[in-house]
Amino acid sequence: MSARGAPSYSPYSGIEERVMQEDGAGPASRSVLGADSRRQDGRLPEECRPAFLQVGTVSRAAGSAYAEFASTKVLVAVYGPRESRKAAAYSDTSRLTCDVKLAAFATKSRGKYGQGTAERELSDLLHKALVSAVRLDTFPKASVDVFALVLESGGADLAVVVTAASLALADAGIEMLDMVAATSLSLVGGHLLVDPAASEERAQDGNVLVALMPARNEVTQMHLAGAWPDTHAAQAIELCLDGCHKLDGEMRACLREHAATANGS
Amino acid sequence: MPGLSAAELSFLEGGIAQDLRNDGRGREDFRSFSIQLDVISQASGSARVRLGATDILASIKAELGSPPAEFPHLGRLELAVEISPTAGPEFEGRGGEELSAELGKALERSFAGGANGTGAAVDLAALSVVEGKTCWVLYADVLVLNADGNILDASAIGIKAALSNTRIPKVEVLAGEGDEEGELELNDDPDECARVSTAAVPLIVTLTKVGRHYIADATGDEEAQMSSALSVAVNEKGQLCGVTKRGSAGIDPSVISDMLSVARRIGKRLLAKVDAEISLAESRLESET
Repeated sequence: MSARGAPSYSPYSGIEERVMQEDGAGPASRSVLGADSRRQDGRLPEECRPAFLQVGTVSRAAGSAYAEFASTKVLVAVYGPRESRKAAAYSDTSRLTCDVKLAAFATKSRGKYGQGTAERELSDLLHKALVSAVRLDTFPKASVDVFALVLESGGADLAVVVTAASLALADAGIEMLDMVAATSLSLVGGHLLVDPAASEERAQDGNVLVALMPARNEVTQMHLAGAWPDTHAAQAIELCLDGCHKLDGEMRACLREHAATANGS
Repeated sequence: MPGLSAAELSFLEGGIAQDLRNDGRGREDFRSFSIQLDVISQASGSARVRLGATDILASIKAELGSPPAEFPHLGRLELAVEISPTAGPEFEGRGGEELSAELGKALERSFAGGANGTGAAVDLAALSVVEGKTCWVLYADVLVLNADGNILDASAIGIKAALSNTRIPKVEVLAGEGDEEGELELNDDPDECARVSTAAVPLIVTLTKVGRHYIADATGDEEAQMSSALSVAVNEKGQLCGVTKRGSAGIDPSVISDMLSVARRIGKRLLAKVDAEISLAESRLESET
């Protein structure tokens, strides 16, 4: 447990060690784990990538955040509360709109302009993860628009987008019940790999994503795909929850630091 | 759903709290359902499922297509849900689009397995015809005729039944001459068809949270009261095949793990019942012909 990345928010190693004993499959049952049970990028299975978080990146936005988890790079800008663009019926709460775009150069094969199904799905999942945290009743009739841009897709994109979007909302001063931190995990050949890189996601048999309001201890969004053996699913969720709590600490530190520099200048 | 009055709402919630719902069910009971097979002659396999008043048609169409670029040895399974405007007034025009996209994604998560095809509902490798060139694509389309709650669980039952009814023509690959590609010959003899194994096809159990309790198989009225819901796909081995959280309220993590184990228990009972209903429908179909 020595070589842990500097600003890492990895869950406790104890959980993963239990998993490794139980599943019985030797290490390197697939190429994702080397003989020293480290991943291709040198991380341990339960180790998250070092996270760089920054708020206030886009000066014209009400709030913005930039998140970099190794090669996954995401920029989020929040506009609003402002007049709702959609000429929709009167509503006594506000609208939260979420739009996720993948930059044309974000993936290996060049993307197309216009919202594809992948982007639509990401937007929808982002909305679901955030909507229960934002206090929409505090600004009736208005809308808050969250725009996320994935600059480089390097794995666990949605988790990073949710995390960054929640930071940007906080930066914009939108009232929230709590921050939302999200962590995802891949099941690869019986191993649970927290915060997967793109290469690990391509090899995955299943994946879980948990978005959590850490202080309230409420899950805002969770989905799981693939066939999961009995015990693995519960352990995977536990690892994700733990990851979310750790990530929450990083997020709050980032906001505090930003507030301190803003006050100092 | 037409709005319920405050008195009706509190009656509904009170019933749920006392484990006696408006239609006499307990919190974990499903409504009774019926399955009818082979209802669409144009499809490779089809089923109609009535779960309470919810009424859905599921069709499987097998077409020859190209395999996924990253996994040339696999076939494909494509899932979609369409909500007809006949199903309820709120689905007029584009009203059903959002829900149908959400349900389609939930089905995909539960049936399509991981990216490499492990844990998929059907054996995707068996759908391959010529590696890297041609494979069978199974299009599973669900059409909702009447929506009275729990469309997702009914859709999963429908897809499982329709898959059990699916016949895929045998394909012969004729060797090409020289550089020419081989030709495919479809065998259209109805007795010479491949069947799809449905043993690994999961069913979905949606637990809807109303107040402090959660209920299985919510009706439309009950769904109007939901704060959040967890849709859990369970297969015969008791494995979780997909989980989707729906609704806007957050759920406590410990409640989620409770819900997962309850869903697994209900799913086991439901699987046995659906299998029995499918074989009943099959014998009915045979006696008709």
